[in-house]
Amino acid sequence: MLTIENLQVSVEGKPILKGLSLTVEAGRVHAIMGPNGSGKSTLAHVLAGREGYEVTGGNVRFGDEDLLALEPEERAHAGLFLAMQYPVEIPGVANMYFLRQAINAICKARGQDEIPAAEFMRKVREQARLLGIGEELLKRDLNAGFSGGEKKRNEILQMALLEPRLCILDETDSGLDIDALRTVADGVNRLRSPERAFLVITHYQRLLDYIVPDVVHIMADGRIQRTGGPELARELEERGYEGLLGTKLAA
Amino acid sequence: MLAVKRTRRLDPDPAFTAAFRELAPRLPGSANEPLARIREEGFARFLALGIPTQRDEAWKFTNVARIANRPMRPATATELPLDRVLPYLLGGPRARRLVFVDGRLQPQWSHTGGLPQGVIVESLARAAETRPLALAEALGELDDGRSFTALNTAFADGGAWIELPAGLALEAPLQLLFVTTGGEVPVMSHPRCVLRLGDGASLTLLETHVGLGEGAALTNAVLQLALRPGARLEHDRIQLPAAQGSLLAKIDGSLGAGARYRQTTVLLGGALVRNEHELRIDGPGVDCLLSGVAVPGTGEQSDIVVRIHHRAGGSHSDQYFKHVVEDRGHAAFAGKIVVHPGAQKTNAYQKNDNLLLSDDGEVDTKPELEIYADDVKCSHGATCGELDAGALFYLRSRGIARQAARAILVHAFAAEVIGRLADPTARALAETRLVARLGGGLDGALVETVLGEAA
Ligand SMILES: Nc1ncnc2c1ncn2[C@@H]1O[C@H](COP(=O)(O)OP(=O)(O)OP(=O)(O)O)[C@@H](O)[C@H]1O
Ligand SMILES: [Mg+2]
Repeated sequence: MLTIENLQVSVEGKPILKGLSLTVEAGRVHAIMGPNGSGKSTLAHVLAGREGYEVTGGNVRFGDEDLLALEPEERAHAGLFLAMQYPVEIPGVANMYFLRQAINAICKARGQDEIPAAEFMRKVREQARLLGIGEELLKRDLNAGFSGGEKKRNEILQMALLEPRLCILDETDSGLDIDALRTVADGVNRLRSPERAFLVITHYQRLLDYIVPDVVHIMADGRIQRTGGPELARELEERGYEGLLGTKLAA
Repeated sequence: MLAVKRTRRLDPDPAFTAAFRELAPRLPGSANEPLARIREEGFARFLALGIPTQRDEAWKFTNVARIANRPMRPATATELPLDRVLPYLLGGPRARRLVFVDGRLQPQWSHTGGLPQGVIVESLARAAETRPLALAEALGELDDGRSFTALNTAFADGGAWIELPAGLALEAPLQLLFVTTGGEVPVMSHPRCVLRLGDGASLTLLETHVGLGEGAALTNAVLQLALRPGARLEHDRIQLPAAQGSLLAKIDGSLGAGARYRQTTVLLGGALVRNEHELRIDGPGVDCLLSGVAVPGTGEQSDIVVRIHHRAGGSHSDQYFKHVVEDRGHAAFAGKIVVHPGAQKTNAYQKNDNLLLSDDGEVDTKPELEIYADDVKCSHGATCGELDAGALFYLRSRGIARQAARAILVHAFAAEVIGRLADPTARALAETRLVARLGGGLDGALVETVLGEAA
């Protein structure tokens, strides 16, 4: 579903991704772990199409499309979703209104009819209830003044409603209390299906206890350094990056 | 001295004199000697003051001569079908209103019946018959040294005389709708309104300026407000001039102790629109809140001038103006707070936030504080920013196209001011027009959401 080949990305002239290759197949959950500053969020942003990153080499295919040639909204239409590490606060835009616009935009791009208001409300309420998001949060402005955990739940709510093919989760677990972690992980697990793939960026084994990955990658210095099964994450937990990769890459 | 003055002013186009000579005998109240004299004096004053140039500090950001100093005629009587005007009839079924087209009252769409005893709502033409002396006195008492005010005094055609007696709260909103139709020759109209609220009286005034038609048009409006102690005025202004239409609107007002004046202005369109306010706070406990938003694009300028005089202490004033500048649009804001000697315990605030959407747009902002008392709280601030790139990306990453995402964010910036409009129908009109203007295929859902929240 997603094929990244030798991807090289610079930010303000500084190389961050230095030849990263990765293949994700439909129905699979891939975890990416790596030290702070190793380029995980950069990868996520480049895949989602955020400006400010210069791709200096390599290519990315999503399905049969050249992902990097698409506008951010076209990537969303094609089924890519990024749950952000730091969701943006947007005062003046009601959460509910935003959700409606997003769903309609995606329906339209996929050649479907816009969903009727009543059905939309029902869907949103149902998903919000499952994720422990109160009615009040839906009425508020998008992420504005939301707590860290509320923002993360709101990301998963959007993910559930937009029904993407590829879900990228950038540290969705950070800032969540133990119960919220459970709720959010359940939300992700409900979305697991043979057609859908996940790229889960995390620092902690705990999330992977709930969302059990098929593949674990260790990223450092802008590259995938090791790839393995779920046991690789446990090994990392025990030995740390230094033990696993040596002093130089763990920095 | 004279030499300096000449560089700051242009002589008015001779066509003004020709038009005044021709029209004077036909203007409202021309048969009444004091009124006719006031008009003559107004016109002489206009000639003496001349048309301001950008060397004049008050017009530094604005080249008004290109709009106003050229041959213009009052429009000939225009017949408009109801459906052209219907979208602008605001205030709901109980509203009272006066509708003017090119300065002429349209009785078929106006409705002032059934008002409580003591309330006066009449057109300027009617007031010139029923109260010529009071009208002459009101016209004559405003001399602000501004040429367009003098021009308005000379030519005043449309407009209204509105009075509420002490203690009366008018439940139904009152709308003043001014429609301008541009013609082949540039046309002008000069609405003059006098509004007086007695002690503790209260009114919601919906003032709407709408331009229909392609031709050039100038609306030169003056409103004189007087709020007696404890009076309350909610003043919603929606301004939708046509592309070649210009609007110069001056509000002069005095606010008595404990009065509350809340004004919200939404402007979309117009070649040059200048909203000037000069307000005097004459007692303690006054609450004066002025807000506005405008979205000038290419060929458009929105110019906001505010002067608030705290002549008595213990009152509160707040200015909150926003501009969104698209393409080659031009926004200017000059706000002044004057705290007079002895006006202690004054709270006065001013804020001008600008969203600049293109590299070609222009934003000028000039805040001024003149404070002659020591125990006061005053602040002013101005910001100028672009759309937040992170927010834009966030919306687009959820599938919302760039243009729609941009429209959503601009709307969010403007919505705070629109939300301050007191009347829901005014809010709906402003919303609909703003959303249409921003494009991006946003639909009524935005309006529904906002109104749903307001309800
Ligand atoms: N806009 C930017 N300007 C300058 N440097 C940047 C920018 N964005 C990222 N970087 C740098 O790129 C490197 C990788 O950052 P990135 O956010 O991708 O790391 P990360 O692996 O997600 O780290 P963390 O685990 O802390 O979230 C860091 O050194 C960071 O400072
Ligand atoms: Mg990160």
